[in-house]
Amino acid sequence: MKKSAFWLVSIMLIMSLFLAACSKETANEKPAEGDKPAGEAIEGGTVTFGYTQPFKGVLSYAYYEGEDDVNALQFMHEALIKTGDDLTPQPNLATWELSEDHMKLTFKLKEGVKWHDGEELTVEDMEYAWYLIADPTYEGARFANVAMIKGAQEYHDGKADTIEGIKVIDDYTIEVTVTEPSVNLLDNIWVYPEPKHYYGDISSKELPDSEQIRKKPIGVGPFKVKNIVAGEMIEFERFDDYWQGPAKLDGVVYKIIDGSLAQGLIQNGEVDVIEAPKDQWAAIKELPNVNAVEADAMSYSYIGFDWGHYDTEKGVVVSDNQKFQNKALRHAMAHAIDRQAFIDGFANGLGKPLNTPFPSVSWAKIDDSEINGYEFDVEKAKELLDEAGYKDVDGDGFVEDPEGKPFTVNFDAMAGAETSEARAQFIIQSWQAIGLNAKLNGGALKDFNLFYDTIEADDPSVETFMGAWGLSADPDPSGIWLSTDKWNMWRWYSEESDELIKKGVTFPEDESMDVKEHRQAIYDDWQKLVNEELPVIFFEQRIDPWAINKRVQNVKVTPFGTDDFHLWAVTE
Amino acid sequence: MLQYTIRRLIGMIPIIFLISVVVFSLAKLMPGDALSGKIDPLNSDPAYIEEMREKMGLNDPIHVQYLRWMSGVVKGDFGDSFVHKREVMELVGDRLPNTIILGVSALLITYCLAFLMGRFSGRYAYSLGDYLISGFNYLALAIPSFVAALVAIYIFSINLGWVPATGSIGSGVEPGTFDYFISKAKHTILPALVLGSLATASYTQFLRNDMIESSRKDYVRTARAKGTKESTIYNKHILRNSIIPIVTLLGFDIASIFGGAIITETIFTYPGIGYLFVESVNARDYSVMMAIAMMLTVLTLIGNLIADLLYGLVDPRIRLS
Repeated sequence: MKKSAFWLVSIMLIMSLFLAACSKETANEKPAEGDKPAGEAIEGGTVTFGYTQPFKGVLSYAYYEGEDDVNALQFMHEALIKTGDDLTPQPNLATWELSEDHMKLTFKLKEGVKWHDGEELTVEDMEYAWYLIADPTYEGARFANVAMIKGAQEYHDGKADTIEGIKVIDDYTIEVTVTEPSVNLLDNIWVYPEPKHYYGDISSKELPDSEQIRKKPIGVGPFKVKNIVAGEMIEFERFDDYWQGPAKLDGVVYKIIDGSLAQGLIQNGEVDVIEAPKDQWAAIKELPNVNAVEADAMSYSYIGFDWGHYDTEKGVVVSDNQKFQNKALRHAMAHAIDRQAFIDGFANGLGKPLNTPFPSVSWAKIDDSEINGYEFDVEKAKELLDEAGYKDVDGDGFVEDPEGKPFTVNFDAMAGAETSEARAQFIIQSWQAIGLNAKLNGGALKDFNLFYDTIEADDPSVETFMGAWGLSADPDPSGIWLSTDKWNMWRWYSEESDELIKKGVTFPEDESMDVKEHRQAIYDDWQKLVNEELPVIFFEQRIDPWAINKRVQNVKVTPFGTDDFHLWAVTE
Repeated sequence: MLQYTIRRLIGMIPIIFLISVVVFSLAKLMPGDALSGKIDPLNSDPAYIEEMREKMGLNDPIHVQYLRWMSGVVKGDFGDSFVHKREVMELVGDRLPNTIILGVSALLITYCLAFLMGRFSGRYAYSLGDYLISGFNYLALAIPSFVAALVAIYIFSINLGWVPATGSIGSGVEPGTFDYFISKAKHTILPALVLGSLATASYTQFLRNDMIESSRKDYVRTARAKGTKESTIYNKHILRNSIIPIVTLLGFDIASIFGGAIITETIFTYPGIGYLFVESVNARDYSVMMAIAMMLTVLTLIGNLIADLLYGLVDPRIRLS
C-alpha cells in the first residue's frame, strides 16, 4: 500500500510540475534611474540582490548559460567593451580601433587592471578566452561569437593548431583579423577575458566543472567572491584594487528566493534589489520602503501566423500554407485585438503595444507616425474581412472563406502563469467578435517545451501562436527573420525582407556616410515592409519592474538589468 | 533471517530493472529536452542546439539511449547534468546533507508530536481532547504543504521576523563556528516544523488505537487488580508495548528522509534533493531527474525490507522464511 501511494504521490507531483513549468523570458531594460532617496549614504554596508530561479554555479562568462548565473557574474567580472545607454558599444577595459577595410580590429587594454588574485590583466587573457571557446572540446554556446575571427573555424574543427587571425602585439595590444567586414562586429565578438594564469592547464571541456569556476571564481569586477552556497546564495566582498576605485559597499549578497514570497521579502528587507514578479507588481510598487522602477525591455511578444514549413534539407522556409496568405485577413485579425486592454488587464500595465519587431528602446525603431498602428477597431476588422470575401454564408455567426468553405482558426499559447488561460481566451474571443471561428488548439494550453516542440516540428494543427523574443542591443534581425533561419517560427518567406536584412549589416558604399544613419534607413524600409505585410501580429513590448529598497542608492537600471555596481551605496 | 534478506535482495533486481524502464520512458515521454529551453537568439543558435543534441546522443534510437544510460547506472555512474555541467552524483551529493538535516529534523518533530498526542489520545480516548487531537491531525493531513508553508512564512518570517524565510544558511557566517550552527538551525526549523507537524496523523492514530486495544488486555486488568497506579499502567506497561509496532514504521521513513520534500523545499528555497528534482524536471535535465527517481526507488525498496525485518525482530511470532 505504502509503496503504491508513494508512487501515486510522486506522479501527481510530477504532473503538477508540468502545469507549473514556467515560460522563458529574457529581459533587458531601458536606462532608467530610481528616485534618489533622501538621507546620506554611509561607508560600507551590504545589499541583497534577489532572483527567483536557482543558479547553476557556472561562474565564467565563457560557459554560463542562464540569467541565474549571469546575475552573479555581473558583480565580479567585466568585459573589454560595454553597451552604452544608447545601446551602442562603449570602451570599458579597452579601447578599440578598426582598420580602413574593416578587417582588422585592434584592442588597446587599460594598464593596471587587476584580477582578484592580484595578477594584472593582459591581452593574453583575452586571447586565451577566444582559444577556450574555439576549442574543439568546448561545449558552451558561444562559438558563434568567435567564429568571425579568421582561422577560428579551422581551429574548432581541429584542422589548425592556432587561430590564424589573432595577433598579440604587446601585453596591452591585440589585433584580430576577421573573415569578413561586418557593421555589428563589436556587438558580436566575444570580449570577456578569462584568467589564463589561474585556470592553468585545465582543458576547455573540464573547466565548467573545475574548482576555479565553481568554488573560487575570479574576475576583474568591483566585487570578489567570498562564499558560495550552491543553488542558494553567493556572498561577494569589495575588491579594493578595482580599476575604477573600490566600491562603496562592503559587499553584495546574491540570494535565491521563491517568487511567491517576493512581496513579503521586499517588504521586510530580506531582499533589497530584485526584478519583481509581474503578477505581484501592483502590491509591490505600493510598498513604503520600495523605489519602483519600470524599465522598457528589449523584448516583445507576437502572434505568429503559420505560413508553411521549414525545409530541413534546403535549410529554408517554404510558405506553402494558403490559409493566411490574404493580407486583409491578417490585418483584420490585428485590428480585432485590444492590446492595451490586454496589457492593463493581465500584466498590471507592464507593456506597450508595438507594431514592428523593434521595441522603442532600440535606436533603429522607426517613428510610429510612419507605420500602421493597427488600432483596436472591430468595425474596421469586419469591413476588411468582408472586402476580402470572408462572409457568413451559412448564417452560423462565423464567416466562411472566399470559396464558401468553413473557416476555423487554431490558436496556441504557453501555459505557466495563472492568467495564461484567460489571456488565450481574450485573444480567441476578440477574433470571435469579428466573426472568425477561433478556438484553442487541442482545447488546452501547452507548456513551454511542448509549445516550441510542436511549432518547430511544423505540426499541421498549429495555425496561430503567441510567442516572445528577447533581443540583443544590436538591431540586426537575422537569426529570427531570415528565410533561412530555423527560428523563423512563422515560416515567412520574403526575398525583399531577406535582402534588406542582409543589406542592414553592410557598410555604406559612400565612405563618408554615417554607418548608423545608413543602417537606420535600411531598417526603416524593413520595418515598413513587415509592418505592412504583417507576417506576425506584433503584440506588445515588455516593461520590466524593478523593486529597489529605498535605503539603496545609485542603482542604475540599464538595458542589461542593473549596473554601476561600484557606485551602489546604502543610507543605513 | 540472513537467507530471507538475501532472497529479498535478489528479488529486488527485476523490480529495479522494471522501474528503470518506467523512469526512463516517462522522462523521454516528456516534451522537449534540456536544449529546448535554449530557444533564445541572445545566447545560442539552432546550429549549436543541433550539434549538442548529436553530441549528447539525443538523436539516437530510444533503446540505444536506454542501454547507454543503464550501463552507466549499474556501474554507479549516472552521467553528467547538462544544465549544471557537472557529474550527477556530485550534484546529488552536494544537496544530500541539507536534505538529510531537514528530513531528520522533520521526523523528530513528527515523532515527538505524535508520541505526545498519541499517548494522550490513547489514555483519554473519546474525550474532548482526543477529538481535538484527531481533528487537528486530519486537518493537517488535508492542508496542502504549500499552503501551510506560505502561511508559516507569512506569520513567522515576514510578520514576526523570528526566522529567515529562505535558504539553508545565512550570509556572513563561517562554517564550523557556533554562529554557523545557530544559523543553520534557524533556517531549518520552519520548513521542518511545516513538514513534521503535517505528517503526524498516521503515527498518532496508530499509537492511540494500539493503546486502546492494549488497555483491554488481560495483563492490564491484572495490573489494575493489583492496585497499580493508573499512570504507571499507561506509561510503563501499555506504552512500552504499543510503541514497538510503531518502531517498524521507521523503515518506511528512510526514503522520505533522503527523498526530500519537493514542494516545501522549493517554497523555502532550501537547496536539497526535492528542490533539485523540481529544477531538473523544469529544465528537462534528464540525467539528474532519473538519478533521483532511481535513488528513491532503491531507498523505498530497502526501507520496506528494513520494515519487514524489524517486524520479525520485535515480534518473534512472525517467522521470516
